[in-house]
Amino acid sequence: MTASLEFHDPSGAIEVKRPHAARVAGLAGKRVGFVSNEQWQAYRMLPRLKALLEADFAGIEVLPIDAFPQGNAVIGSEETAALVRASGVDAVIIGNAA
Amino acid sequence: MTNAVAGLGLAPDAAMVTFPIELFLPGSDISPVEARKQEFYDGLTRWRSAFAGDGAGEPPMLRVEGSSAEDALARANHLMLANRWGDGLPLWPPTRARVDWILRGSVEPRGRRLGTFPPRGGVTTVESCAIALAMAGGRPEYLPVLVAAVEAFLDPESGSEALQAASGSAFPVVIVNGPVGARIRLNAGFGCLGPDPQRPAGASIGRALRLLQQNLGGALPGIGTMANYGGGRYTNVVFAEDEASLPAGWPAHGTDRHGFAPGSSSISLAFANGATNIRRRGAKKETPAEDALQGMHRMADFMRVPNMAGLAGYEHGTPGILMLPGVVAQTMTGLGWTKASMREFLWEHSRIPAAELRRAGCPAWIEIDTSKVARDSLALDPWPITVRPENFVIVVAGGGHPTNSYWLQGYSPGVVGRPVDLPASFESLLAEAEREIGPA
Repeated sequence: MTASLEFHDPSGAIEVKRPHAARVAGLAGKRVGFVSNEQWQAYRMLPRLKALLEADFAGIEVLPIDAFPQGNAVIGSEETAALVRASGVDAVIIGNAA
Repeated sequence: MTNAVAGLGLAPDAAMVTFPIELFLPGSDISPVEARKQEFYDGLTRWRSAFAGDGAGEPPMLRVEGSSAEDALARANHLMLANRWGDGLPLWPPTRARVDWILRGSVEPRGRRLGTFPPRGGVTTVESCAIALAMAGGRPEYLPVLVAAVEAFLDPESGSEALQAASGSAFPVVIVNGPVGARIRLNAGFGCLGPDPQRPAGASIGRALRLLQQNLGGALPGIGTMANYGGGRYTNVVFAEDEASLPAGWPAHGTDRHGFAPGSSSISLAFANGATNIRRRGAKKETPAEDALQGMHRMADFMRVPNMAGLAGYEHGTPGILMLPGVVAQTMTGLGWTKASMREFLWEHSRIPAAELRRAGCPAWIEIDTSKVARDSLALDPWPITVRPENFVIVVAGGGHPTNSYWLQGYSPGVVGRPVDLPASFESLLAEAEREIGPA
């Protein structure tokens, strides 16, 4: 004798409404920005990363860490997103979360 | 953490470079950033989402077989735990029949969309609630309260989007007002925050909400939520206000905070990150007035703490929920206290001297708060723990015993209310409950 149970998967559906930003082919000659929440040692780690990018890729322009508003209170705002768009950057690094 | 972007409508993966927590601590060695720089470069250039398709559509039904009904039940539980859909306690498999039974408690179609559950972004419907309530051992008459609580949870004003993932271990508190509480056997008296076979509704509703937070919202400990301790998370907190014990002139919480009509059924949702029992009563020969005043001071002293998580609700939320037994509320009313005067007292006497704030490093947190009102409060000495007395939530609940009150410390950007809509079949559902689990 056997018994069976059929039941709903409780994890529901996920909707993907928009794609992630396209990647750049390479970083040489590109303009890169940082959006920082100033948390979790971002004030040390992001400048280190900036220096590494500038050393490794010819013609790259890496904007200052404070080029955009910083802090958890503002980095998720539409205003900050508009500033990032207006800056003409090809790519953005966001940090830090823990 | 990968859940964080799915709730924004993006695929549930993202280009991230992750490090052990030690790297993020003050004075850390950050040389791993250089050692792993290629991962940053790849994230900007070569990374592609591994998530195929748009993800829309309902997931398929699952099927298990066993050598007996008990074996099939065990296998279903094993499958749910293996998929990380459980909480470690036994679950009812949400079969079609059980979910359809639960849905008899809905006034709305099963497919009615309530939103997406943060941060993972799982599409949330009335049926999603019924599935979770079925798993949690619930009954159809509980569904209206759960649906209202989920609507409140998903309201951006609640702050759930951040609190679901945050490290501060926030848990939702659902206060139920109106006749629905007693009718579905929700506890308002002795032991109202714990399990009670005489009044089992709160455990199932709260557990169902937690399962939704985890299964649709992705709040898996250490993966989708960084809640460090996760206290109160088996069943959250769901209770009814003891309206039968409200003193004359005291508005019920749902009316007082949200403006719902007196006598109507509603829920109110806030978040807390702690729970403290306060021995409020005096021990010797205090007069009634002394007993009341000393108790008020003792409660304010419990509130006068640097709860920096509470800043989230400084302007619009609440510093916490004070639960008072009905007998205490009635006695204090007889002495001339009102709900408003109690709030004024608590607000005034829970203020923290600025020197103590500075000693504890609190100004740094206050200065970076999103609320200008909160930031500006730094100029105040002593510093009030919330901008206005009205932000304190006071509810009458707990057993008919005067010694203790209870303080649910707030971590709550908002306090969100929703009416509870009952189906036309509600009375028959209650009658069915009487037959199945005995008289209320």
